[in-house]
Amino acid sequence: MSNQRQASSASQVPHLSPAELSYLYTSLSLPKSSIRPDGRSPTQFRPLTAETNILPGTNGSARVGFADGTQAIVGVKAEVEKTVLSNETVDARSEFGISEDRGEQEGSAAVGGHGSWVQMSIEIPGFRDDDALPVFLSEMMRESLVGAVGSAEASDMTGGLKGRLVINKRWHWRLYIDVLLLSQPLSYPLPLLSLTTHLALLSTKLPKLKSQGEEDPFFDDDWAVAEYLYPRVSLSSAKHSARSPFVRPPVTLLVISVGENIIFDPNREEIAVADAVLAISITRDSEAGNLKLLSIRTVDPPSRLTQPGIPNSENVNMLGAVASTEDVAVLNPATGEEEVPGVWRPRRGGVKRSVIAEMVKTVLKKGGVGEEVLEGLEGVEVS
Amino acid sequence: MGITILPPVVEDLVPRHDESDDSMSVGSDSDVEMSGIRAPKRARLGNLTVSTGVVTPGEVVTDDPQWMRGHGTYMTPLSTSIIATVAGTVHKTNKLLSVHPLRARYTPEIGDLVVGRIVEVQSKRWKVDVAAPLLAQLPLSAINLPGGILRRRTSADELQIRTFFSEGDLLVAEVQSVHQDGSASLHTRSLKYGKLRNGVFLAVTGTGGSGASSSSTKGGVGAGSLRPGAGAGVGGVVRSRRQVWTVSTHNGGGEVDVILGVNGYIWISKHADGAAAASSTTQNVSITRMEEMVSSSIYSSQNDNITPQTRREIARLAQCIQVLVQGGVRVDEETVMRAYEASLLVDLEVGDDEDEYEETRHEGREYLEGAKSRRILELVVQQAK
Repeated sequence: MSNQRQASSASQVPHLSPAELSYLYTSLSLPKSSIRPDGRSPTQFRPLTAETNILPGTNGSARVGFADGTQAIVGVKAEVEKTVLSNETVDARSEFGISEDRGEQEGSAAVGGHGSWVQMSIEIPGFRDDDALPVFLSEMMRESLVGAVGSAEASDMTGGLKGRLVINKRWHWRLYIDVLLLSQPLSYPLPLLSLTTHLALLSTKLPKLKSQGEEDPFFDDDWAVAEYLYPRVSLSSAKHSARSPFVRPPVTLLVISVGENIIFDPNREEIAVADAVLAISITRDSEAGNLKLLSIRTVDPPSRLTQPGIPNSENVNMLGAVASTEDVAVLNPATGEEEVPGVWRPRRGGVKRSVIAEMVKTVLKKGGVGEEVLEGLEGVEVS
Repeated sequence: MGITILPPVVEDLVPRHDESDDSMSVGSDSDVEMSGIRAPKRARLGNLTVSTGVVTPGEVVTDDPQWMRGHGTYMTPLSTSIIATVAGTVHKTNKLLSVHPLRARYTPEIGDLVVGRIVEVQSKRWKVDVAAPLLAQLPLSAINLPGGILRRRTSADELQIRTFFSEGDLLVAEVQSVHQDGSASLHTRSLKYGKLRNGVFLAVTGTGGSGASSSSTKGGVGAGSLRPGAGAGVGGVVRSRRQVWTVSTHNGGGEVDVILGVNGYIWISKHADGAAAASSTTQNVSITRMEEMVSSSIYSSQNDNITPQTRREIARLAQCIQVLVQGGVRVDEETVMRAYEASLLVDLEVGDDEDEYEETRHEGREYLEGAKSRRILELVVQQAK
């Protein structure tokens, strides 16, 4: 029972005592200046180590290690496959009522690409591959990956990643993204896995196509001329920083709210007291370099499963020791619940609209967290 | 602020030697071939000597029949080679070879002050996680009843066992006895012990307790073990030093208590002035009732009002300990206090450099990592010499 609970909840919550939870919560929810247990500012990330192209047998790979010791490896393999879902078959199938395409009727699969061409599998130690957590995580990441549709002007990346996978009408690339978490999931592993996948996709190269048009595909043997799946900024053009941003794979960030405060890159203890946990996927598309919000998903906050604290006035062991008038319940402005200060109450969940709006704003605004993260990832040397 | 992405660090593969250890064994037996022992690991394949540096489980430490096997090693009945059973460094005491693990769980010993977390509540006792291989037990008869009453534990107490401690609660206790299988029995029969509140918990890894304490006690305390990354068997809480003390913090933080459990669990909290706290609730308490008042609040799970300044300094102390652990410095009162002073100094240094950016850079300045943590370690080690 408890195992199932852990698997479905945001992370394997450590058992924390009510006093600890209350201390953490009040520290984090101090108006305007939250004090995180490790002294970071609310938007500060823990330093991480990253390297790319570590697996020689893949088209692209990356390894990212967080400061808390969690590590992930991602390998991307590409395979040429015959496009089965051509224009005619889609129509024929939908006539017989066994349509398989999901909301992509407007363009034929051969031109616009198909979401199922990207396969993602996540392996987390201690979890079966059909457990809720890996399945949910992989779908959450795959969805934003294939959902990112580039704007029409971006010549090479029409239709985002899906469009890029099209070779011609009869052939396409199929991507296998294998994500491996090397350590126990200390905190909710989504940001780590997402950052690693982003880097692996950035370093992914596909062999140069030699054939033209509708011929059977034929590729250049020379790996040195292979092209990046996501075109890189060449050094010369990097100076024109105004137009440097290209379409980039999405990044999913984990954001929590505690009281009125918004906190990025939470560690395990911080997630344990969060009012709301949100996974926000962003990407950079189009030449303008604007960030685009792909999805927001709420993650079940583990704080609702915690032990409540007992106020001194109700504590059987303290009868007669405390004046009963001392503990006056105060209304928590963030949650609208009555609480005795210094006593932990499990969160009921729910978050105010203004807080969510503020979260999205901090991620998306110019010079905001989203841009910083994407720039940081861009800076990783892809060799 | 923002995100920092670092290139991966390549570990140096040169085996390290524990100097204190060598100096120890020189005088006692001169017939041991020291030159062979000091050679790097690969040379072992050629001549039959003892491998130094870090060995892994299953690795042959030596084929030489002159050595006796000690802790962390085993021998197959058919051969004379000594094989390591843990990952760690080889230690030699005369002719005795033992392997000290790099990381080990805590082995309880009678009288240890430990910080533990309740994981299970049974009918007459609690099971407590103290980072030992087995859960420790805390019998209902080994706690103080609220109000300081001395009497037999009745079935009524058993029924309301969760009102004393329930799952997840942190407590500080002492090891009362160690059983045959290595599990410990705790007690909290002192006003110093009991439930913990008003602070933060952190766990440090490393061989706390007896795991590596022998190397530091034999080889001259301090000098060897304080070098960051020196040898192995570093980190962890030092046994048999002062483990509970009060820091008067700077920046208006007031007084902060630190409890270093031998098991590597650490509790940092606002200083609880027992008498004052009690008398604030009921103004006129007689001196004879004082003890009652103190002990009745030991099962409270309600935090006092803690100022942001105190919270900041508690966070700073917690980070200082993390820095020490990451730098492989053993944690005791001396090193923690030095690291704390050093962190204040480093803040001043940084502050001088970046005065004009004060407004923008102020955020996140309290995060001690990277350059800051290195500087703190430097300062700590400097003072040690």
